[in-house]
Amino acid sequence: MRLYLALLTQGLHIALLLAMAPLVAGVTDWLAARMAGRAGPPVLLAWRDLVRLWRKTPVTQDNLSVVSEVAPAAGLGTMLAAAALVPSFTLGMALSPLADTLVIAALMIAGRVIFALAAFDSGAARPGLAAQDAASLAVLAEPALILFVVALGMMAAGFNIDQIIAQQQEGMLLPAVASTVALTALLGVVLGEAATRDSLRDQVFSGPDLALAKLAGWLRRLVWIDLIGALFLPIGMSTAEAGPIGWLIGLLAWGGKLFFFLFCLCGVQTALGRIPRHSLPNLIGVAALLALLAVVIVLASTGAV
Amino acid sequence: MSDAILLLLSLQPAGLLLLALCAGFLPAAGAGLAMAGLNSVGAALCVIALALGAPAAELPLPIGPPGMSMHIGIDALSIYVLLLVFTAGCAIGAFQAYAGLPVTRMAICRAAICSAGGMLALLAADGILLTIGLTLAVGALWLDTRRRHATALLIPLLLLGAVALLTPPGFAPRFDAIRTAPPGLMHSSAAVLLTMAAVTGLASLKPAERCWLRQAVLAGLMMPLSAYLLLRLTVELPGAGAHPVWGFLLMLCGGVIAVRQSWCAGADGQIDGIADALVRTQIGLAMTGAGLTVIARLADLPAASGHALADTLLLAAGGLAGTVVVLAVHAVASGAGSYRLSRLGGLVHLMPGTAAALALGLASLTILPPGPGFACLWLLMRALVSAPRTGGLVADIPLAAAAAAVAIAGVLATTAALRLGGVALLSRPRSPRGAGAGDIPRPAQLAMLALSCIPVLLGLLPGPALALLADPILHGLTGVEALARGGPFGAGSAYLALPVAALLGLSTGAALLARRQRRTEARLAGPWFDGAQPPAGLPFGDPLAQSAGEGFLPPLPAWPTVPMPAMPPSPVRRLKSVQTGFWLILAGAAACLIILALTGATE
Repeated sequence: MRLYLALLTQGLHIALLLAMAPLVAGVTDWLAARMAGRAGPPVLLAWRDLVRLWRKTPVTQDNLSVVSEVAPAAGLGTMLAAAALVPSFTLGMALSPLADTLVIAALMIAGRVIFALAAFDSGAARPGLAAQDAASLAVLAEPALILFVVALGMMAAGFNIDQIIAQQQEGMLLPAVASTVALTALLGVVLGEAATRDSLRDQVFSGPDLALAKLAGWLRRLVWIDLIGALFLPIGMSTAEAGPIGWLIGLLAWGGKLFFFLFCLCGVQTALGRIPRHSLPNLIGVAALLALLAVVIVLASTGAV
Repeated sequence: MSDAILLLLSLQPAGLLLLALCAGFLPAAGAGLAMAGLNSVGAALCVIALALGAPAAELPLPIGPPGMSMHIGIDALSIYVLLLVFTAGCAIGAFQAYAGLPVTRMAICRAAICSAGGMLALLAADGILLTIGLTLAVGALWLDTRRRHATALLIPLLLLGAVALLTPPGFAPRFDAIRTAPPGLMHSSAAVLLTMAAVTGLASLKPAERCWLRQAVLAGLMMPLSAYLLLRLTVELPGAGAHPVWGFLLMLCGGVIAVRQSWCAGADGQIDGIADALVRTQIGLAMTGAGLTVIARLADLPAASGHALADTLLLAAGGLAGTVVVLAVHAVASGAGSYRLSRLGGLVHLMPGTAAALALGLASLTILPPGPGFACLWLLMRALVSAPRTGGLVADIPLAAAAAAVAIAGVLATTAALRLGGVALLSRPRSPRGAGAGDIPRPAQLAMLALSCIPVLLGLLPGPALALLADPILHGLTGVEALARGGPFGAGSAYLALPVAALLGLSTGAALLARRQRRTEARLAGPWFDGAQPPAGLPFGDPLAQSAGEGFLPPLPAWPTVPMPAMPPSPVRRLKSVQTGFWLILAGAAACLIILALTGATE
């Protein structure tokens, strides 16, 4: 029975994230427009875009290799795997033994690498330079992400995300200072990524491939939000055995957290404006230093907690 | 049984030395086949020893100064590393035989001597033989180094010093004597320091450019040999004698090497330079793993030391991926006519076999799951998480620094691999010569592909592979029981590589299936962006229209120059050529061996 419940919640989780990823993109655009005083696009515009792109005839070049053919599906598959491992409304899903935070971080890195390879494969200038630019920023951002995972792992004595969330729920993810510094570091990484221009996919893919690539990008954003919410605000998360009532409560809590994070993200972006490209290394560098600081705090506080 | 295997294994260096002597008379392909044959016999012997669980064995050699006769020996650690070296040597030999890449007889001769020396060092059971083996290996490479400093020749002496310091007073410098009477704190610490200096020297050895054979031997031999020396002389022999501070120093030194080399890999404009730097990154990471093993062992934390040791052993296997990358980049340069990254492109269409081998090799050196690089990262981070913490900033900052260094080196290596693979293999050719590239013969492609599959398998099945190949090492050095069943890859806090690979395969397969459902005839556009046709004068496109991978990372500033001691001028400058010096070294080594034999080998 437990296995069936775990499988059922896992299936529900994946379906929920797949359905919500375009919706979250639509809500983000709408919120950002409303905060800027404009009417804003329809919330379902992202979904409509997906359907429209899916029906379009793709354009291809004669120099493309199998990498470009597989990259949209591989990118989406990688993000789907990462999304499947980060819990949303319940813990103890079927894939929770695989849900290692270091694996999730590496899957996020793999997602970037796959689209960068596709950009190089196109043989065009702008996508290649955009991929190169993203790679040079990732040299700072991805170590920050790994150090963030190490800091959490040191606090929870393991990398399993369910284990970390369970400790956070019981208030045992100590020291709290390190937890806060690690959260700030992750927010810096996510803000840095949100500020980069996502023009790479539009220039490389078209038609159904672009639909898959766009869905992968939206799923990536949702995984970031989901990760922050699950790790640092695990309110209302139930277990797989809690049954439909518990799941419903978890679902409502997840929806509330999601809206809260989207509101905060759009608020920050509206208040600060678009972060200029030349400031991004500074932002991500600070995030990397904060992640390192979180590791140092955890190490230095041993025996004091 | 072990004695017979040891005896047969000891014939391998002799065979390679014979091959070095005959290199002048054999064609390159014949020498390659002989090298592949010798190495495949050695690999088969190692597999037999592992399959039968052959216990440690030791045999005296009938040479050596009075009271200090030399000994050869095998145990689980040397068998594991020998298997890696033989496997790499087998692929290098097959590649030499079939690829048809130009190689001089002198290069074949030196590569054979280098391999023989390395194997002798791996079979050595005492400090003297270890020094002789390393002298042969390092001496053969030293003759090819770009900027020849006498300090490179100090590497064997440093290791001899390390063994001598570990040896109890009144005993010959033999490993079994050290095991029976573990050394004290000062001696162990000094030995660890000397070993660290020697391995740092090995990591900084750079062969002459444009010789694929020497570079491949360096990747396939020196990387596993460095890991072996670290584990033997800093972890196993000092036992509980060393001070943890030397473990911290090893970690930091390894971290600096790893970050510097991975940065160089990301900034280098030559593809052989990138491959070389990626291999040396692995040596730095192995040093970090060895340092962490020392610290965790001294703190009596078997799980942490087990993770760190498993990481070092897996990194040693990374030498195979490094060998593939080196062979593939030289095949690419031979086919496309340039080592410059900015002159290559589109080789996935023109050299598919080589491109596949290069892609697999590069993927194994990145931190992307489910590759062996990610398994190494996971193990090292897991060891860092459970490393001993004293609660003091001074003692704990090196752990944080090591974590940062490993993370940065991993990401930089991934960026370097992306740059090499993305620019050289994908997109469009960037030069007419590159557009006319052709692949190397199929047997050589198969040799590279077969070698590149081994690290991939290790990445998919890290736990079972280590349990099969290195369980006695892990149990003997750290006390960890049955790695695959209940250890680092067991239930609970675990990295389940195969299920993660299956999850990735399923999700990607589902996305591919969905894409296939939407079958539409794609509209073909021109090779330029937005479908524009290239101008008539630029059939390969404007070179500025494609990213040439030159803006990923700025070049690192050079180390501050330190005045180095030069060789005594007169004898060296009078040599007619480098070959004369090489033959002098050989003759010197032979004379030493004869004198040692004549003086009589008695216990």
